Parts: sequence; structure tokens; C-alpha cells
Amino acid sequence: MWSVVQWGALIPDEINLGTMYRLNTYPLIHTGFFHALLNALALTPLLERFEAEHGTLTSIALFVGPLSTFPAGIYLLIEKVILHSNTSVVGSSIWVFLLLGSEAIRTYKSNPHFSLGPYKIPTWTSPLFACVVLSILVSNVSFLGHLCAILIGYLFGLGYLKFLVPPEKILRWIEGKLNLLGRLPHYISVDQKTFGRYGVLPSSNNAANGNNGTPMNFLGTNQRLDDNSRRTYISENALLPGQVHAYFTGSEQNIFRGYKQELQTLLNEGRKAEDQEAEVEVTPAASNKVHSILQAAGLKVATQKYEYTSAGITHQGENIYGIIHAPRGDATEAIVLVAAWKTADDELNLKGVTLALTLARYFKRWSLWSKDIIFLFTPDSKTGTQAWIDAYHDLHPESVQPLPLKSGALQGAVVIEYPFEHHFQKLHIVYDGVNGQLPNLDLFNTAVAIAGGQMGIGANLQEMWEHNDSYEARLQTMMRGMTKQGLGYATGAHSSFMPYHIDAITLQPKGEGWEDEMALGRTIESMCRSLNNLLEHLHQSFFFYLLMHSNRFVSIGTYLPSAMLIAGNFTIMAIALWMRTGYYPESKPDTPAGEKSKSEKTSKTGAQKIEKAVKVNETALPERLMALPLTLVTGLHLLGLVPLWTFNNIFHQYFTTATYIFVVVDIVLPLFLAALLSNGLGVSKPIIPQQYHLIKSFALLLLGLSLSTLATLNFSLSFMIGLLCAPLSFIGRLQGPAALRYGVSSLGLVLLNLLSPPIVLLGVCWYTGVSVETVLTQAAFGWDVWGMWTQVVVWCVWWPAWLIGCVQLGSSIF
Amino acid sequence: MAVDRRMVGVFGVAFVLRLLLICLFPALPDLLTGRVEVSTPVNSFKRLQEGLYLYTRNVSPYDGGVFHQAPLLLPIFSLLPDIHSNPIPTAIFYFLVDLVNAYALVTISESGQSIQSRLHSAVRKHIQWDGVSVAAWFLFNPFTIATCLARSTSVFTTSGILFAVSNAVGGNSVNAMLALGFASYLSLYPALLFIPLVLVCYDQRLESSKKSPKAVGYVLQHAAILAASVVGLLALSYLITGNFWEFISATYGFHLLVPDLTPNVGLWWYFFIEMFDSFREFFIGVFWLHLASYVGGLTARLRRQPLFVIASLLGVFAIFKPYPSISDASLYFAMLPLYRHLFPLMRYTFFAISAILYSSLLGPAFYHLWIYAGSGNANFFYAITLVWSLGLSILLADSIFSALRDEWEQDHPEEQGTEVKQV
Repeated sequence: MWSVVQWGALIPDEINLGTMYRLNTYPLIHTGFFHALLNALALTPLLERFEAEHGTLTSIALFVGPLSTFPAGIYLLIEKVILHSNTSVVGSSIWVFLLLGSEAIRTYKSNPHFSLGPYKIPTWTSPLFACVVLSILVSNVSFLGHLCAILIGYLFGLGYLKFLVPPEKILRWIEGKLNLLGRLPHYISVDQKTFGRYGVLPSSNNAANGNNGTPMNFLGTNQRLDDNSRRTYISENALLPGQVHAYFTGSEQNIFRGYKQELQTLLNEGRKAEDQEAEVEVTPAASNKVHSILQAAGLKVATQKYEYTSAGITHQGENIYGIIHAPRGDATEAIVLVAAWKTADDELNLKGVTLALTLARYFKRWSLWSKDIIFLFTPDSKTGTQAWIDAYHDLHPESVQPLPLKSGALQGAVVIEYPFEHHFQKLHIVYDGVNGQLPNLDLFNTAVAIAGGQMGIGANLQEMWEHNDSYEARLQTMMRGMTKQGLGYATGAHSSFMPYHIDAITLQPKGEGWEDEMALGRTIESMCRSLNNLLEHLHQSFFFYLLMHSNRFVSIGTYLPSAMLIAGNFTIMAIALWMRTGYYPESKPDTPAGEKSKSEKTSKTGAQKIEKAVKVNETALPERLMALPLTLVTGLHLLGLVPLWTFNNIFHQYFTTATYIFVVVDIVLPLFLAALLSNGLGVSKPIIPQQYHLIKSFALLLLGLSLSTLATLNFSLSFMIGLLCAPLSFIGRLQGPAALRYGVSSLGLVLLNLLSPPIVLLGVCWYTGVSVETVLTQAAFGWDVWGMWTQVVVWCVWWPAWLIGCVQLGSSIF
Repeated sequence: MAVDRRMVGVFGVAFVLRLLLICLFPALPDLLTGRVEVSTPVNSFKRLQEGLYLYTRNVSPYDGGVFHQAPLLLPIFSLLPDIHSNPIPTAIFYFLVDLVNAYALVTISESGQSIQSRLHSAVRKHIQWDGVSVAAWFLFNPFTIATCLARSTSVFTTSGILFAVSNAVGGNSVNAMLALGFASYLSLYPALLFIPLVLVCYDQRLESSKKSPKAVGYVLQHAAILAASVVGLLALSYLITGNFWEFISATYGFHLLVPDLTPNVGLWWYFFIEMFDSFREFFIGVFWLHLASYVGGLTARLRRQPLFVIASLLGVFAIFKPYPSISDASLYFAMLPLYRHLFPLMRYTFFAISAILYSSLLGPAFYHLWIYAGSGNANFFYAITLVWSLGLSILLADSIFSALRDEWEQDHPEEQGTEVKQV
């Protein structure tokens, strides 16, 4: 009689080239009914979960194929070659242990230990315990077979067996040809798998910590960065990121494809009809389609036209937005999802817009929203959201229409971008706001946790595509963050929300990889669920931080002292100069009265007994002549309004010329002023050294004041300006032989001119390869539309201080 | 009044500067009106507009609990054209009030009372600024300009106080009392200046006329004038509002009981936010007593310089009164240059001025972080108001120290220039 068990079991001695089929058949064969039943009970939940993650076809392919063969191979190797015995094996328990092993690895990544009294046991050992217990309890169990399965499970869990998975293209082809989705009940297609393809939680790469031979080693080490930074954590408990199952799968994709097709056709038609070359021009037909889709989905829809003019360029467009009224809310709070037709990089965001539309239709059917959800479609990422959010708060200029439809207080905003056709690899999270304002760190953490932890998509920041957590990579991330913060421009559609205290981020898919729009959709769904949980505005976590990695940040307490020290240097210098004006070493040996008391005040304040020399030797009392210094310093600061006005109001064609004119002005003006001062302005007495000190003192005092105030608002800007101004503390009117003075001061003036605002602008533009006109147009746009005030700092803080420094140095020539 | 060319120049430039500011930055007045540093519940122009709106529609201006200013302001402001369609006349009205205040300062300065009075003669007489310079310090003080542009009604109180002082030093004691009555009617706290002001009048009277009146009788007589003027103004107010107790409780009750804890530059709001309700009355009493206690102490100690007592009390008010704003500080800064001869004796000017400058920049920044950016909290702003008060206190204490030192040097001419040892 032909025995199935005899035919298909894994019997080491029977294996030869002709009986290799046994390597794949043995898990399907069982010795009896109870054996089969028990194995099925154990396997069903595990395999179901695996299938949900990887799709039906992949699961079948893996389990019939390599995931049976590999454990069998190892088993044979050990059993026959090493142990020289011949124990046959059958049953699907091999799969059970394999799956347990892979699950254990995943658990280990999120939760490395469980504590048993004082002992910490790594979680990856749990299948081994199960294996041992089973061997003891049940007779006729192959301990070795199970161990082999666990080993393969570990390897799979660690992601070393990725290469075994059949390519998606083939799976799709089979799926399409056989119409499996339609025929098979409970079939999980390639597109429906919930987790990342190899659903592994993101791991922090600690290998770089021990990395010693870096070229920047003399500057610092990763260890030092670790000491001064912290791991990110979710501070707001209500957020519960990634704790819900995201259901945005399956049939929603068909809808997505349908919408995309419709929009694509309309865009193409419109482009042909209008014969436009511009690829990203949104046609009115497409906008109307968005309108009608939203309406069909049951949302309240409204539009808003706007127009901005800046530097002679007119920006206009029309926002479309729809509101889902919360079934469980009272319309007092809302979340915004934004999809701009043009991304921040001016690419056509067709898939992003389509995804938002699909999500709108999908969200509308859920009953669990307790906050309104607003879907906002803007023509571009620069102006649209600004116009909308201004109008939402009734603070819009004349050229922007008011909003006909509103909801409650906005709690958060997420901007969706998907400007290409292929699948993506990682999510890039953009978080910088206008004027360096940042969203609450909790929002960023939520995005990272959901993308990385729940979806298995990695998260990037600051365009650091390859972040290996090394010292350089961390520094570079921080540098990029600080540059963006310091310049204070809007980095995406989300930036406009920040001034209104609405936390917002942009999610940009990047790279070529496995993830499709459905994965992005699920990420956004999960984020909306998290925001929906919020009981109050995000406030728990940090608003001031510098991120060095998606899971590491420096908090304000650590970094603020650096900017304050730089600003403090100017104040200290100002105080020192003020005191110095009390002495007259060159005029009288007898230090005059009242001034001395002032000059001594701080030097002795530390002492317990304060002695004050208060002489009333009136005739020698040198008054500080403050009228001229005060007028000059105030006047020069007001003069800063001239370039401020010029660079924000002239037409963009003239920006380059204006910059060069200002370079010349910056060379001539200090010399002119210095000559004027030295010759006593033609009318009054020549200026005395004391007044030079006073001028410098007042200028530095103002600089220090402004920078320390600025540091609380925009740390990076204050830091950068502070560094650029640092030489101003140390230069002054030179004394000594004429030849030396001329030489040194001319050299100094040349060097100082290299640090003047227009030259620095030109230098940076040359270095980065961006044209001056582009930068200044953007800056003027920022001033006019975003309410950016970086220019004010440059022209009314930095430039006057610099100018006074140059006048001081220049006066040594005359 | 001899028209001085310099004075005309300073006044003209001050006027043109203000006009330029509102023409170049039309949004500035409204911005400043909304700032908590400038506008408090008792001097806010916005609230005045609300009261005016109700008043012109024959509703009690105190309905709704927004308006807390004196009722006599209403008929005055209802004469001015509508602020939204035509803001310039109102602005110019405020500019003129500023100029008038500056003129009062010129009068005070030129009387020389701050340097030489009946009982006191400063040691460093030659170090002084003339009236025009003092007026210039007042008119070009950014705090004064901000107050003026914000159209805060504190400027009328300032007028009352300055005119009371200028009349007192001019020997016109009845007018002084009337002016003080006006100031007290508007803001209540100027009534605390009565004692030093009467002393100024009394000293002036003794200096000018041979026969000396009885001190007690003199004081009582002037108290009666003050009371009469206040009663007269209250009666007028009664005619306007029709409901006496309603307006008393909405104005003076509001001053005394401090029910509105909107943030301002003072120390009360945060304190009373934190306070348990059961202790509230007690501490309101303590705070007012504290404020009033300076009057007696300073007047007694600086009996010889009653004008300086007034100046110092204005500094005390700027720090410790319930709803202070920068206009109170600007009034104190206006009085300080009268004591230019004390500056060489002051020890911490630079530090105090730096603290004041720092806090006046950081204050708005922290308020922004708290209210608009949402990334800060109330403690940020309160910390800065503490620094502001600290700066003012240092300046105040330092000026009082130098005044005392000046008195001491006058008594001990041989000791001039010796070291002071603080133990």
C-alpha cells in the first residue's frame, strides 16, 4: 500500500536527486488527525498575519518554496552529516516555529527585554523556550527540526532572506491574468499588504558610534553629540501613533486609479487645447473636476480666489477646499490635509492630489472622526496655503477673497506630495516654518513613528537621503536645519500654517522602492487618526529644537546658551567701552569724579563692602558727550530702512544691479562718514576719542540687545548674524604712526567689506550656484506674502552695526 | 511767554515726527493700541471707542463691562470725527496734548525748583539742562511717542499731573489743586500726590510772600479745593451718565479692586492670577497700602525737596500701581531730566538703562511667544515684566540715593567728595 507519509516525509536517508520533492512536501503531510489539527490551530493565526503583511501570492510562494526547503536543508545537513542518524520529519509545525522566530525578532526590535525578577531576558529567545517546552511535553517531536525552523525564522525576521521574495512585477502579472482578486475570497493582493514589504521596524544604526577614524574627529565625536542631545519621544499621550489599523487598502486603489485617470486626461486635454508648454500648469477643467469629485463624495466645497504681487511678479490662483464635518464633533476643531498642484519643488503633484481626493471620499464614510477634516487643494505650494490660512483667520489682504465656508480651530495640518509615477522608498518629512518657527516636536515624532514603526517606511529629514547616524551626518542634518531656520523662508505648503500656531508638516515620498501611494495613504490615515485623538492643541513637546536625526534632537536648553554667549559678547563690550569713556588717561592724571564712580561700579560690586569714590571736583568733571553718538547710531539704524524698502519694493529685474550698487555704497559710505566725523561735520568741534568709544558702545549695545531678543525667536538667525558680526567687537579706531594706521585700517576695511551683507549674499549665491535675483525675488516674496522678517534683521540690525564698525576703522585714516 | 526759537524747533520736529510716523505706517497706531504694554484696561483707546459707541447710542457706556474710564472723556471724544474714517484729527489732538505736556515740563524746569527751593539748594547747580532739553527728552522718548500714537488716555492724567506741578512751582496753588483734582478724577492714584504737592505750594508761598500762613490751615484749605474740584467733576459725570453708583464702581471700583487681570507691565496681574480667592481682598489691601506707604515715607525723609518726592512717587507708581503701562514710565522719565545735577552721583544708570532696554525688546518677543506662537507661556512674559520693574526700581533707588547724598553734601560742605562707605 502506498503511504503518503512514506512518500512525502523528510527522511534523511531517502533523499537523493530524485526525491528532492520531499524537501517541500513534508510540511503538508501529517501523521494523524490530531497532529494535523494541532498544527493547523497553531499555524492559522500566524500565517494569517503573515499573509496580511505580504500578500497571498507571496506567502504561497514563500511557504511552498524556500521557507520549507531551507529548514529542511539545514536539518538534513545536521542530521545526516553531523549526527549520522535517520529521523524522519513531517508536519507544518516547522512553519509555526519559523513564523514564531520571525515574530520574535520583530518584537525584539521594539521591546528588547522582558524582565523576570532581576533578570532581563531578551525577547528573541521566546521561541526557543517554546521549542524546549514542547519537546518535553509531547513525545515524538523533532527538537532539531524545530530549531532549524527557528533559525530560518530569525534570518527572515532580520531581513536576510528578502531576496527570496518573487518580484512584484511577476506577482502583479499573475494577479492580473488570473483575476485572483475577483475570484478568491479573502485574497490579499500585492497592493493590499499592510506593512512594508519586509515589515521590519526601523532600527537605529549604532554601529557608527564606535566609528573613530572620521576626518572630523578632532572637532568632536558622536559620543559628545549623544551627551548633548536626546532621543525623541512622544510626549502627548493622546496621540497614540500607530496604534490603529489603517484600512485604506484594496478597492480604494481602484478609485485612486480612476480619479488619477480622469485628472490626467483633463490635464492633457487642457494642455493641448491651450498649447501650453508649462508642464505644471493646472487647467481649469482639472480644478472643476476636483470640485465635482469632492462634492460627489459628500463634502461641503468652496473656492477662494487670490492674487499677490511681489517684486513686479503677480501670483494668482484659486484654492478649492472641502470640509468633512465630524460625525462625533461639534465643528470646533479641524485637521487640514493639503495637496498642492505644484509641490515645493515646482513639480506636478498629480498623485498627491489624487490621493487627497481618494482619502476625502474614504474619510467621509468613517464615523469615528471627532474633528472636522478639511481637504485643501491649492494651485501651488508658495501662495495658496498662505492665502487660505490668512483668510481663515480673517487677516487676508484686499487681493485675497474671504472664505465662504469655515470650520473650527485648526489643530494640525499635513501636506501630501507625490510628484512622480514610480513607487517610493522613503518618506521625507519637511517641518520648517516661516521665520524659523517649528511645529511641535510631537507632530514630527508621530510622523516618524507611523512611517517607520507602523508602515515600515523609513523617514528622512533635511534632504539627508543617506543618514548613517555618523558624526558628520548628524552635524550636516543640524546645519541644514539651522540654515533653513535662519533664512526663515517657507519650505513647503505647510510653512504658512506655522505663524498661526498650527503645527504642520509635509510628507514627501522620495527614492525608488517598494512603497506605493496606498502606503502613503495609510500613513496619512494613521496620522489623521492620531491627530483626531488629540484632546487639546499640541503643546506637550518641544517647540524649539534642532533635529540631528529622525530620532535624535537637541533641546533649547542645550543650544540657546551658544547664541546668548555670542549676543552677550556685544553687550559686555558695550559696558566695557562705556566704562572706558569715564577715564581720561591722556588728558588728566587725576581721574575725574563722577565718572570714576561709574567706572568702578561693576568692578567692585562683587565685594561685600562697596566703596565708592565720589569726588565732587566739579571743574574736572568730564561729561560724556552723548548727543552726537546717540544721533549717529539712531540715524544709521533708521538708514537701514532705505535698503530694506529698496530690496522689497523694486522690480525683480533690478535686484542684481541694486546689490552691486549697495556693494559700492558699502565701500564709500563708511569712508565718507568717517571723513565727515573726523572733520567735525564742518560746523561743530572735531569729534573726540570718547565719542568714538560711545558710538561703538551704543552700536554694540543695540546689536547685543537685538541679537539676544532674536535668539528667543529664531535661534539660527541670531547665531549666524552673531558670528558674522563677531569681528565688530574687536575693531575700533586705530592709533599709532600714520603709515601703520593707513595700512592696517585699509586692510581691515577690505576684510570688513568682505563681511558686508551684500558681499555675503553674493558669496553665498556664488557658492550655492543660485542667482542673486532668484534669492532676492524669493526674499521680497517672503516679505510681501509670508510675513518673513529676515530682511529686517539684516538691514536694521546687522547692516547698521557693520556700518558703524567700518566708520570706526575708517576714521583712523583721517 | 517768550517764544523761544529752539523750543519751537523741538516742538515742531516732535510734531512732524509723530505725523510722519502715522503717515508712513498707517497700521502703527492700531498695532500699538492693541499692545498690552501700552494699553491697559483703564487707558485703552479701544475700550474708549466701545464706551463711546454705547454713549452715542444712549446706552450706559459701562454696560458690558468693557469701558472703565472716566465719563467726562466721552463728550470730549464724541466731538472728534469718527476714528475709522478720519483718524488724523484724533491723532493730532493727541499730538497737541503731548506738546502741551512738554510745555508744562518746560515751565517746571525753568522755575528752577528742582535745583533751588526754599529748603534746599543743589550742590552741582551748573550741571543742568534747560527747559527745552527736558522737553526734548520727553517728546523724543520712544515710550512717550508710543503712548501718544496708541492714543492711550493716560496722556490726560499725565497732563493733569504735569500741570498741577507746573502751577505749584509757579505759585498758583489753586490751579495746581484743580489740575490734580482732574488727574485724580481720571485715574484715582494721582490723589496720592496731594501731600508733596501741597508742600511744594506751601514752600513756594513762603518764599514769595512775607507773611506765612498756618501750615495746617493751608493744607486743609487746599484739600478742600481738591475735594471740591473732584466733587465738581463727579457731579458733571453724574449728569452725563445718570447712574452714579454704576460709574463709580465701573471706574474707581475697577481701579481699587483690580478685577481685570489682563497682562501688563506691572506686578499685580500675575500675582492675583495665582492668588486663591479667599486671600484676594486681603492682598489687594496690602498692595494698595504698600503703594500708598511710599507717600508718607518719602515726603518725611525728603521734606526739603518736595518736587523730588513727586518725581520719585511717579516712579513708584510706574512700578507698583495696579494697571501700569509704559506711559507711566514715560512720565517718570520725563521728570528725571529735571534732576540732571544728580546724574553724576548716580551709580547704576547704565545697568538700569540696559535692563530697561533689554526688557522693552524682550517683552514683546516673549509676549509673542506666549500668545501668538504658542511656544512660550505666561512665565516668559512675567519674568520680563519683573526685569522691567527691576530696571525701574534700580533707577528709582539710585536717584533717591543721589538726592540724599546731595542733601548731605549741602549740609556738610567740607565732606564733599569724600568716600561713602556702605557697611
